[in-house]
Amino acid sequence: MGITVENIKKSYGRNVVLDELSLDVPSESFTSILAPTGSGKTTLLRIMAGIEKPDIGRVLYNGVDVTSVPVQKRKVSMVYQEFINYPSMTAYENIASPLRVSREHLAEKEIDRRVREIAGLLKISDVLGHLPEELSGGEKQRTAIARALIKGSEFIFLDEPLANLDYKLREELRGELKTVFKGTTIIYATPEPIDALSMSTHVGFLLDGKIAQFGKVHEVYSRPMNAEVGRYFNEPLTNMLEGKLVRRGESASLRLSEELEIKVDPFLKYMKENEYIVGIRPQDLSTVQDRVHMVPFEATVDFTEIVGSFTTLHLVHRDKNLGIVIYQPEKSHRRGDTIKVYLDPQSIYIYDKKSKKLIIARGEPIAAG
Amino acid sequence: MATIELVDIKHTYVKARTETHALRGINLTFKDGCPSALLGPSGCGKTTLLNILSGLLKPTSGRVLFNGKDVTDLETEQRNIAQVFQFPVVYDSMDVYGNFAFPLKNRGASHSEVEKRVREVADLLDLSNELRASPRSLGAGQRQLLALGRCLVRKDTAVVLLDEPMTQIDVHQRWYLRRELSKVQSSLNVTMIYVTHDQYEALTFAERVMVMKDGLVIQEGTPEELYQNPQTPFVGYFIGTPGMNVLECELEGDFLVFRGFKKYLSPGLRKRIQSRGTRFTIGIRPEFIHCELKKQENWSPLEVSIIEDRGEFNILTLTVKDISLKSQVPGTLKVTEGDQVWVNFLEEKIKFYKNDQLIN
Repeated sequence: MGITVENIKKSYGRNVVLDELSLDVPSESFTSILAPTGSGKTTLLRIMAGIEKPDIGRVLYNGVDVTSVPVQKRKVSMVYQEFINYPSMTAYENIASPLRVSREHLAEKEIDRRVREIAGLLKISDVLGHLPEELSGGEKQRTAIARALIKGSEFIFLDEPLANLDYKLREELRGELKTVFKGTTIIYATPEPIDALSMSTHVGFLLDGKIAQFGKVHEVYSRPMNAEVGRYFNEPLTNMLEGKLVRRGESASLRLSEELEIKVDPFLKYMKENEYIVGIRPQDLSTVQDRVHMVPFEATVDFTEIVGSFTTLHLVHRDKNLGIVIYQPEKSHRRGDTIKVYLDPQSIYIYDKKSKKLIIARGEPIAAG
Repeated sequence: MATIELVDIKHTYVKARTETHALRGINLTFKDGCPSALLGPSGCGKTTLLNILSGLLKPTSGRVLFNGKDVTDLETEQRNIAQVFQFPVVYDSMDVYGNFAFPLKNRGASHSEVEKRVREVADLLDLSNELRASPRSLGAGQRQLLALGRCLVRKDTAVVLLDEPMTQIDVHQRWYLRRELSKVQSSLNVTMIYVTHDQYEALTFAERVMVMKDGLVIQEGTPEELYQNPQTPFVGYFIGTPGMNVLECELEGDFLVFRGFKKYLSPGLRKRIQSRGTRFTIGIRPEFIHCELKKQENWSPLEVSIIEDRGEFNILTLTVKDISLKSQVPGTLKVTEGDQVWVNFLEEKIKFYKNDQLIN
């Protein structure tokens, strides 16, 4: 059944953070709450966990209203950005502590077995005897995660747990976290699309205090129903350009600039307005014509970032900033060079300018309603 | 601007009778006008090294030279160092103009000198329109640029040290700051030393990257050299997203073997390495491991244990017994966790190591 959040509202003073937000987190899913920093993810997590109460609305666990149940009485665990461990206890004791205070009164042998099992899963068996100050950042966070897991809670909340870790460590942990949490329901707050993509089964996008879209990760990724979701749910950010509908007899195109027009004949019946927003993912632009029917245009190089196996080019096309990501080695372009860029017209996302709703996704119209 | 030399720098911290050897013999030259990066995981010694460069810390032994002059015993103020920290150091009580002007006014510059220099620097940092604004109205990235600008107004700045300057900047805004930093560096030909654990930042900013681990510089080179020819398995693992896979293998006849997995080697390559023995540590990057669903001649099977969706491509974790490898495959390859795939390594991209050193 999972967690149901029903129409919750939360304000701090006059600041409305969550505005009639509803959400259904499926049981045993790995659900990411994705949004830029400051959007209210932490507030949402705290309300779902029971650390804070909503002003109005309810939270249900498996259909049971737990809104007024304090967090200590719920079977949940939470992991924070700042690796929180008891400084005077060893890693072993930190992990064992939830079992020692539980009502189950487990035998020492059983506690030992469980601690070692979880430590093995999280690759910290070798440092169990260390104090937190003797652990590296990654080891501290794994200890905190182990402590959260050992309780066997049905729901685990993680609030940007990788944010304070080294780049390399974040990479490593992403793959591991996916396996370690199998069987539990995970709610994971993050501002990084890559976390949602690589680890989660489901993603909810928090926008203006509400969940703008929720669904299976790949579905939301391939059909972002709102322009802001489309813009943000990509690494790097999706290029968003304004397009005007230009009719020529029976035919029509979306004009993105004097040089760049995309034919939209097959979609005319879905496009009743004159102005649209077009989302172009940096991965869908190219410096070579490697697909048929690509639309060419020229742009000036602003900045090149070559990182091992891929290159990000920052370009300017008629005062608009565009980013391209290329996956094969690319020669270094100098700032100010003019290059030819190719766009696959089948790859674009067309949004209505006023409502910001998705109309066409990669060549497919979105059913109305 | 100055050429900075570090001569046999060693540093040990002593705390409650425990000794930590933070730096174990560093010899480096930072060329005048060159953007460099000290890259390494937490605890590698890069921050200690930065503090020795700035004068905040005196090394246990070794010397620091600026343009040949020994500055080891000089205080920070006497070194003409400028530093950009993790948290933008700006004065919120003055406007942007005031922030830039302050270091100059402090040295008794005339009103017109200050005016000229402030406008030059503001222009370079794209802050000309913000001169009368309060720093509080600026975004985090712009505040960092303001902090950098304050370092640059003084023309006698020898070197600019940047200590993880992106920490407070939103991930999506970082490319803007990276671009501005690169622009400033190349326009002014400033000697800049950038300290980070983030390889992306290091590789996009620097012309020379020094990879550090456990108090030593493991390899120094251009971003491309480090990526193409990692001298040790650690460098190969640390550079790249994800990093290089590192494995122990044995040469058996025509094949490189581990846990039953076989990789055919061409006679030329076999000949080159077999003089060094039969046991090797190899490195192979995920982007050079190919996977197919259908059986291919001379390829070997592995099981897909984890799939990480990266949008346009996927990272597969491939396993056999206790060994795991990561492979980067196109999003169009339809696999599910538990599937078996046929795997090949691109021969010319395999790196061979013996005793932690690159042999090919």
